[in-house]
Amino acid sequence: MRKANVAIALLLAAVAILVIVDAVRLGFRWNANGPESGFFPFWLGAILLVCAAVELHGVFSEHRRHEAARRLMPPGAWKPIAWVLAPALAMVLATELVGLHLAAALYLAFYMRAVGKIRWSTTVAVAVLVPAVLYVAFDKLFLVPMPQGLWGAKLLPF
Amino acid sequence: MSDLQNLLMGLGVALESYNLLVALVGLVIGIVVGVLPGLGGANGVAILIPVVVSMRPTTGIILLSSIYWGALYGGSITSILFNIPGEPWSVATTFDGYPMAKAGKPGEALELAFLAHAAGGLLGVVMLTFFAPAIAEFALRFGPAEVFAVMVLTFSAFVGLGGKSPVKTIASIMLGFILAAVGLDIVSGTLRLTYGSVPLMGGFSFIVAVIGLFGLGEIFLTVEEGLKVDGIKVHLRFRDVRDGLKDLLHLKKALVLGSVIGCWMGLKPGGATPASFMAYGFAKQSASNREQFGHGAPAGIVAPESAAHAAGTSATLPMITLGIPGSPTMAVIMGGLMIFGLQPGPMLFKEHPDFVWGLIASCWVGNIVGFFIVLAAAPLFASILKIRFAIFMPVIVYVCAVGAYAVNNRMIDVWYMRGFGVLGYLFKKLDYPIAPMVLALVLGDMAEQAMRQALIMGQGSPAVFFRPPIALPIMVLALAIFFWPVISYVRHHYHPGSHPKAKAAA
Repeated sequence: MRKANVAIALLLAAVAILVIVDAVRLGFRWNANGPESGFFPFWLGAILLVCAAVELHGVFSEHRRHEAARRLMPPGAWKPIAWVLAPALAMVLATELVGLHLAAALYLAFYMRAVGKIRWSTTVAVAVLVPAVLYVAFDKLFLVPMPQGLWGAKLLPF
Repeated sequence: MSDLQNLLMGLGVALESYNLLVALVGLVIGIVVGVLPGLGGANGVAILIPVVVSMRPTTGIILLSSIYWGALYGGSITSILFNIPGEPWSVATTFDGYPMAKAGKPGEALELAFLAHAAGGLLGVVMLTFFAPAIAEFALRFGPAEVFAVMVLTFSAFVGLGGKSPVKTIASIMLGFILAAVGLDIVSGTLRLTYGSVPLMGGFSFIVAVIGLFGLGEIFLTVEEGLKVDGIKVHLRFRDVRDGLKDLLHLKKALVLGSVIGCWMGLKPGGATPASFMAYGFAKQSASNREQFGHGAPAGIVAPESAAHAAGTSATLPMITLGIPGSPTMAVIMGGLMIFGLQPGPMLFKEHPDFVWGLIASCWVGNIVGFFIVLAAAPLFASILKIRFAIFMPVIVYVCAVGAYAVNNRMIDVWYMRGFGVLGYLFKKLDYPIAPMVLALVLGDMAEQAMRQALIMGQGSPAVFFRPPIALPIMVLALAIFFWPVISYVRHHYHPGSHPKAKAAA
């Protein structure tokens, strides 16, 4: 828990420094037209930096000792989370090739069968019907086209 | 009375057959979204924004707000029958709702919850109808300094009253504003914080952030805890409605308490979730049968449910009158308004009265129709949770990806969504509040513009934010609320016997 707190505080500090550096480049004082465009971001970054510093200091203080002992996640919990993240990552990558709807059909089938141990009949039905419904709803009815990827247009020529 | 005339005109809009149909669809989607863990009101609305863009503004907003009302109703079904809060604001309902359902009275528990929702919601809508025009009229006198002061008040409320670590709250607000500032500076036209990267020039869309933070983040939490579904069967009969109404007459105190707390909390950001907990706490404090709480006390259902729904509806008030949304879901709805080119705020009443009154009237229609839908079909909606988690979880991930992509038709947004999902999970775990970040992301451009204009008017002196007669009291109130944790820390410190709360020092 403490490590995670420190990591997030450091991340926030890094963001703050990036913001301040760019704000200084843009100018954060006054010119003829009023505040320059770095003015607002500069103060945002400055306040965020102070918060990150206070938080870093606070993490190691006495009254938050109980927090340090607590775990970020229950033991073994990273596994189901990774099982969500990794196939979803594969879906996003596959989208670049075959388009979102086809990639999602594969993803749905994989997750249901491999992780959920759902019956084959249910797996196939859901993996076909859900993307079909979303395809009709978004791409055809509301004309919000989803990405087709490299081969999507050839694989789904309708 | 002209307000009543306006309302009748609005009802004419809301009751057009097409708009009514859209409201029905929205309510059903909302209830489903409210029932499913991992798909809440905020991201349910966010995913549908790209779809709504092709509709007329009034119809689109009716759809979006109906989803919100539906989600408010839907959250209580699973809390009572499954002990799984479908929405954060229905957590307090599980304390007494599930025990009551387990004790063989699931129908009665559901009835009470729905009736409490309807009553709380209607009080919120009444307030909206009769106060909104007056507040909007008053807000017409606001200049940039006043607008900025109201924003400071908004975010102070998160810091002072949010109950989380003030430092973490401020950090999360700043992060939201920073994300909003990435991309093109609307005043000077220069690129900011992009470091030359092309995808960053488009900035971060708050819709993508909401889908990631609330959608994926919530899924990670659910997966980690392992979802156990152990439902209670229920048949709703007409007798239950009659009994519920009769019971409600004995629970007037809890109902009024909940609705009033809800209306009050809904006006300030923070919204429905703290309202439901507060109402539960107050109802327990003031009850004569305190020991029954936690074991199925009817008042323990009525108070938080009416508060949650009252807060949800009254959150519409600051959104349309001041342009400050009272809850994350309202923030997303407001984002939808801005996509239509409608700037929420006092001018909306003058420029688009048909739209404003259509929205207000649809609050009436949506909350009443929603009541009858959940009444008629609660068991049906509850059966959604009988679907295995391994089936609806990947479907939710897929729908989130569709929603994120559709915002700008950019693949990079799907990646951002994943990043926001992990961030949302970590923030939840480490107790960084998410709602203020989303609000800051939505309000970022408006806040910066107001501040810059005000500073120009004040020739660089921050004293302009304290100018009487309007900005001064708002700022004073904001500062008082902001420093509330410090004040209460000092007060506790000088009262021996009470433990000083450590959070102020953190």
